Amino acid sequence: MRNKFTIRIVLLGLILSANIHAQNAGFLNQLRIGFGGGINMAQILDLEPYNIYEDLSGENYLNNYSNIFQNIGNQYFVQIEWFNDFLIVALKPGTYTYRFSKLNEVVFTNETVEQETPYLLRYFTIPLEVRYRLDLQRFRPYAGASIAYSSLLGSLDASNQTFISSKFTAGAVAGSYIDLRYVILDLNVGYHMGLHNITNKEQRFETGSGSTFAQDDIMLNDLQINLSILFSLSKQKHYSNVECFY
Amino acid sequence: MLNAFINAMRKLISHISLASLLLLLVSACEINQKDIMPEDGFVKIYNHPDEQLALFPESVVEMPGGGFIILSAVKDENSDIEYPYTSLVRTSPSGEVTWTMDYQWLAPSSKLILQNGSVSFVAMNQLFEAYVVTVDPDNGAETAQSALDITMPLYAYTDAQGNLLVLGYDFVTSASWIAKYNSSFQLQQSNKLNVNTDLEYLVQRHLNKMGQDYSFFIGAYSNSSASGYFVNCFYNYTFRTVFLDGSSLSALGNIYSFQTEEGISSLIQKSGSLFGLTSYYEGNNYIMAGAEIDVLSSENIKDMPAEPLYELTYRAAVMALQLETDTENFTLFASQTNDNSLVVYQYALESDSLLNTHKREFDEGVEVRDIIQTADQGIAVLAGIYTLGKYKRPLLYKMPPTLFVPEED
Repeated sequence: MRNKFTIRIVLLGLILSANIHAQNAGFLNQLRIGFGGGINMAQILDLEPYNIYEDLSGENYLNNYSNIFQNIGNQYFVQIEWFNDFLIVALKPGTYTYRFSKLNEVVFTNETVEQETPYLLRYFTIPLEVRYRLDLQRFRPYAGASIAYSSLLGSLDASNQTFISSKFTAGAVAGSYIDLRYVILDLNVGYHMGLHNITNKEQRFETGSGSTFAQDDIMLNDLQINLSILFSLSKQKHYSNVECFY
Repeated sequence: MLNAFINAMRKLISHISLASLLLLLVSACEINQKDIMPEDGFVKIYNHPDEQLALFPESVVEMPGGGFIILSAVKDENSDIEYPYTSLVRTSPSGEVTWTMDYQWLAPSSKLILQNGSVSFVAMNQLFEAYVVTVDPDNGAETAQSALDITMPLYAYTDAQGNLLVLGYDFVTSASWIAKYNSSFQLQQSNKLNVNTDLEYLVQRHLNKMGQDYSFFIGAYSNSSASGYFVNCFYNYTFRTVFLDGSSLSALGNIYSFQTEEGISSLIQKSGSLFGLTSYYEGNNYIMAGAEIDVLSSENIKDMPAEPLYELTYRAAVMALQLETDTENFTLFASQTNDNSLVVYQYALESDSLLNTHKREFDEGVEVRDIIQTADQGIAVLAGIYTLGKYKRPLLYKMPPTLFVPEED
């Protein structure tokens, strides 16, 4: 509870400080706008399992989620960056789609029935990243931290109501800018940890038409790989292959 | 031009800041979900790995310290004994299995009896003689048994005074047999209602879970005309609801139908002569959520105005309950639909106004068997479900009180 409050204060502070800096500095010279996309791999942490099936002979039934490398999702976003000599503040609002499956089994004497329920969660997310960068001329590697607020978008899949709409994540990012003279590419890798249970406790058994499982208390972490194209609103420092500055 | 753009961007960033702040405030309430406990509401299916067992749930009670005991009749394809044996499952408040116990007693009948911390059920031996069997709720061990001196028990009911009423069938005289016992299971009164035709075969099929179930039940009523019990049983060639005098158990009025193919599936007194009932005839199910019934007269079901419930399964079992909450009382009817849903119709107590219809869809067919009010003023519905479409197993659906009485914000 206290942690969440602290995170909110930090996030708010970052937004406001970016606002103030933007207004005080040469604004256009420090702004980049672009768009990007990439893939993500969702990792489900089961905080508290809830199984619909109870075995009368004392067996425990499997109650698992697909592993991170099977859960390939994607994201598309707009990227807005403010930067100074060493610090970059990036906003990447867009749609972030996560896929994963829940695996259940029901055991009988002569057969074990495995049931797989696929999930697709599509969020509108506003990530805020603060990056510390190095300037190696054409390549500008960076590392930083990220915090994001997400809102679950509507879906025809009834099982989506087993999740609350809000999601907060925090994580670490690393990557590199590649200056291509007229555009800048941003290759970015980030791991984001969910900060809370995303299951709707009141609706955990409303898994659509399925009688096969109840929604566990889970946290959704993800590994993202993104590529963005950025356009600067000011004249760029240009590099040539012979390191000729002009 | 450039300054105008910069100013516009400054405003945009300010707006984003404010919008972010608002989003954070709004989302905070949702993330800190109010403390929903697992026992507030859940669905549990109690599976036995043996494919050759079919579990027919009969009754559920909530224990005073929390948790449930579920009574099932178990048919074993390999058993030498034709009739199903008795099985109890004890669960935690959130539905997890604590213990299970099987008993040699056959064809257990609703409802479980909760008395002085002990749990009892009515079943029969291989000679069709009815017994009440008491078990220790801590471990399921059988602690006592009493002969009830009737045969072929079909339904058991405990009234508000702690008296036990048991409906049986006398295959010697072809009569429905209703008997009343005190809380020590001593016989107080009994009466036979002549069927006038031999229906032993139908009763045997019902007891043996051979697919032809009848909605036998017992309930209590009291109004200015009389007070006593209503019993759904075979009587005078047909399947009837008979109103009995509370002391002599002699028949007063009744609601009749065509032979044994039609009948009342549930009945509950709302107040005075106002009853709520459901019925099935001519292939459909019907509900009369507020019907004036004279307990001293004989009425045909079809003469009573009724609303059709086309969504319910053929000859659907329906369980009725009066839900009493701190703020309001309701009449509930629980049943199952053709699209594999458990459905609970929530009516106002003092009228025939339908307030809510609660549905829970399942992948496989379900059949409702019992409904009780829980200590938290929610309900628990016991049903049978065909797991994987093949194996019949008990299903317990605990519904929280907020479904029936929405919480004030």
